[in-house]
Amino acid sequence: MRISTLTIFERNTSSLNRQQSDFLKVGQQFATGKRVINPSDDPQAASRAVGVGQAKAITQQYMDARITARNALAQEESVLNSISDAVISAKTLLVQGANGTLSDADRSSVAAELKSIYETLYGQANVTDGNGRYLFAGYQDNSAPFIKDAAGKVSYVGGNTAREQRVDASRLMPVADNGNTVFRSVHSSAGYIAEAAADNAGTLTFSGPLVLNSSDANYGASFTLSFTENADGSYSYSTDGGASLLTYEPGQPIEFAGLSLTLEGIPADGDSIQLGTAQNMNPDLFASLEKAIAVLDTAVAGDPKQQAQLDNTLKTVMRELDNSLDNVLTVRASVGARLNELDVIDTVAGNRMLNYEQTLSDLLDLDYVQAAAEYSLRMVGLQAAQKSFVDIQGMTLFNYLN
Amino acid sequence: MSIFSIGVSGLNASQKALYTTGNNINNVYTPGYNREIPILGEAKAGGVRVYDIQRQFNHFVATQLNASSGKFSALQAYQTQVHQVDSLLADQEAGLAPLMQSFFSSVEDLVGNPSDPAARQGVLGTANTLTAQFRSFDDYLNDMQQGINGQVRDEIVQINNLAEQVANLNREIGLARAKTGIAPNSLLNQRDQLVADLSARADVKLNIQDGDVYHLSIGNGQPLVAGTHTYKLEAMRSAGDPARMVVGYNDSAGNLIELKDHTFKQGTLGGLLSFRSETLDKTQNQLGQLAVSFAVSFNEQHKQGLDLNGAVGQDFFAIGEPRVYSNSNNSSGVEFAAAFDVDQIDQLKAASYDIHYTGGQMQVTQRDTGVAVVADYDPAAGTLSFAGLKLTLTGTPAEGEQFHLNPLQRAASEFDSKIQDAAQIAAANNDADAGTGDNRNAIALQNLQSKQVVGGHATLSQAYGALVSDVGNRTNVVNVNLTAQQGLNEQLRGLQQSESGVNLDEEAANLLRYQQYYQANARVIEVGGTIIDVLLGLRT
Repeated sequence: MRISTLTIFERNTSSLNRQQSDFLKVGQQFATGKRVINPSDDPQAASRAVGVGQAKAITQQYMDARITARNALAQEESVLNSISDAVISAKTLLVQGANGTLSDADRSSVAAELKSIYETLYGQANVTDGNGRYLFAGYQDNSAPFIKDAAGKVSYVGGNTAREQRVDASRLMPVADNGNTVFRSVHSSAGYIAEAAADNAGTLTFSGPLVLNSSDANYGASFTLSFTENADGSYSYSTDGGASLLTYEPGQPIEFAGLSLTLEGIPADGDSIQLGTAQNMNPDLFASLEKAIAVLDTAVAGDPKQQAQLDNTLKTVMRELDNSLDNVLTVRASVGARLNELDVIDTVAGNRMLNYEQTLSDLLDLDYVQAAAEYSLRMVGLQAAQKSFVDIQGMTLFNYLN
Repeated sequence: MSIFSIGVSGLNASQKALYTTGNNINNVYTPGYNREIPILGEAKAGGVRVYDIQRQFNHFVATQLNASSGKFSALQAYQTQVHQVDSLLADQEAGLAPLMQSFFSSVEDLVGNPSDPAARQGVLGTANTLTAQFRSFDDYLNDMQQGINGQVRDEIVQINNLAEQVANLNREIGLARAKTGIAPNSLLNQRDQLVADLSARADVKLNIQDGDVYHLSIGNGQPLVAGTHTYKLEAMRSAGDPARMVVGYNDSAGNLIELKDHTFKQGTLGGLLSFRSETLDKTQNQLGQLAVSFAVSFNEQHKQGLDLNGAVGQDFFAIGEPRVYSNSNNSSGVEFAAAFDVDQIDQLKAASYDIHYTGGQMQVTQRDTGVAVVADYDPAAGTLSFAGLKLTLTGTPAEGEQFHLNPLQRAASEFDSKIQDAAQIAAANNDADAGTGDNRNAIALQNLQSKQVVGGHATLSQAYGALVSDVGNRTNVVNVNLTAQQGLNEQLRGLQQSESGVNLDEEAANLLRYQQYYQANARVIEVGGTIIDVLLGLRT
């Protein structure tokens, strides 16, 4: 084919251009360390990198969330530790207070010690985190969840929820427990509690209740044992509000609804004892302590009626404290389990993060070995194009015409 | 016929041949020059005669080359533009994806510490950065729209100039032919070069009449040059979108007709218009869809919550409302007002629509696909709703009137955070449990990043990934097409040059040849003289 001089020139320059831009591209890849600089370099890789980048960012978010969650849970765990310690001390004191050889003055000093534990617990219940936010207040974390009224009685005004945080794609984890859960709950499986009415006038004391048959049809219900004086001076009791009356014999266990309760002493007409599962009775730790403090602070002064009150209340409170302690330990175990879970998620997420980073690097980063080879190749190509340009431009018949 | 005459005819011919060779050498690099060769022939009465200085021009090849270079320059113009969008999305650090990520990361901080002023301020800060980047992306794309408006105007001026020159050359060539029976090669070359130049700017069809008059048509066959007359193109504002420059055509009746963008495919103009309708509009729409989906879904969730003061959450983000234009040919004065339908926002598409009122019905067509859209028109209430959009109109339009809806064109330009007071971030749920430590709504807001809020089928980051992939693919395709077209173009150019181009070596050889030819003819005359001398010497 005929080739025009212009064609030779144009072909040469366009080849130079092409070689030069290829060479520059490799140079640019070297400078940035990236294989994909513009999306057009590899659209599939570029858009996948957006997806992987997002997955990585979310994983990072959950990592940050876990740091916050771990911090909150660790703080709660240490507070729960001191709460359980306090409850154990309170129980020890109750055992001490129930000792029949104590004088009224001795009991008052036990009451004083119990009072200081009570205050400690009150302080722990209103503990704040580093930002001044109440730990056990649920969502109402800007004000103290437990308040004292004029009579010194503690009540709960916090929220009934627990803050949650997303610590992994499919895990919304509670990162706190509210005051209700910690201080005013018992486990649903906690057994029966008996409590003598505060205005009992007789010397009736109880021990138990014991569970005989938890599959009894009436097991789980609440009862009131109410006593009535018969005309002959004996006493009858009823567990169903007076519909059926049974004769009371001191020292004989009363059995009903799969329970057994042994009663001693002589009731007064109208005395009563409440029976119910712990959940349905008083589950409030503060109320329990308040009862114990009040009764320990009251002088018995040899009055058998007062003594009966003391015995009954301490028995009730003892059981209540057992349940409260179980509850605190259960909450603490759940906090520990959550902390463990965070560690497990961390390990998995750490691997995931490495994978994402590897994928991102595979998608976008430069393979230096390959690029170095490419670089040399392009350089040779460009040099060849330059050489051939000079050679061809120098070759003309006019060189030979003189 | 004397030997002298023969010698002289040879001298003349060789001179003309040398002149032709010289001319070829002179114009070796002249654009549009076609190589000339002397056509020698025997004279009737003996001797040689130069019948023609023939220019080596092949209409067939030229037409092919023009078509190819039209495609080539369209792709070049397209590539120059699309490369800018490609580069805009190239930044891994300042792109939209990392900023959306850091925004949601600050929402996560808020989840961890719902009442912490620093965490709240962090959300406001990242929201500002994110929206600013959305706006700057949109500004960039809008600047490109403005740039294309300007370039369309320039191209039209150039096309008009070239067309004018072709008409002038038609006249001059006609005159020359009338005078001397032949047209000067230089004029023909110039005219063919002008046609080549025009082909590189727009789709131009050449039609040669009477063997030498060039008629050019453009678009759907509208005449651009008819002999010595030209029809002017004019840059005009589109009837459907006053912000957009389109090609207007002045027809013989003096009407200015808007030519549709898709009638132009080749040349710089075709490349620019294709880029605008295929890539730029789409990218702007996708960006707008992302911004609107982001803003509306975030706002809706935010309004479910309670802020730190216990008040119900307000709109967190501001977003540009959809724009509706009444076609400038409408006469009824009926206007549409448009808004996003927050309940149907997952139906929102990255598209623009044309609305045609006919027979008491509103016919809605998606502009890029031309597909009819099912729309819910209530004439009594004056509402029209479809695809996540709600339109209300004042009155009833006249039959045949058209409206143009660009719901997303500038949505991102007004994307901004509305909340300035960190306490107004609604992190709490709106119920009785709400309190300062309540992070339930913040969790719901955080969850939005994993929800398919864009068009009901993509998360925010997936939508952005699709945008990157779209632009990347399109740029890639254009790059590949451009390389292929460049190869084809070079080949055709080589073919054209093999016939019409000058080869200096060949001309050097011709110089030698014609020099010897001249010398030989001079020798003929010399020999003739010697013969005469011999004859004259016979008498002495």
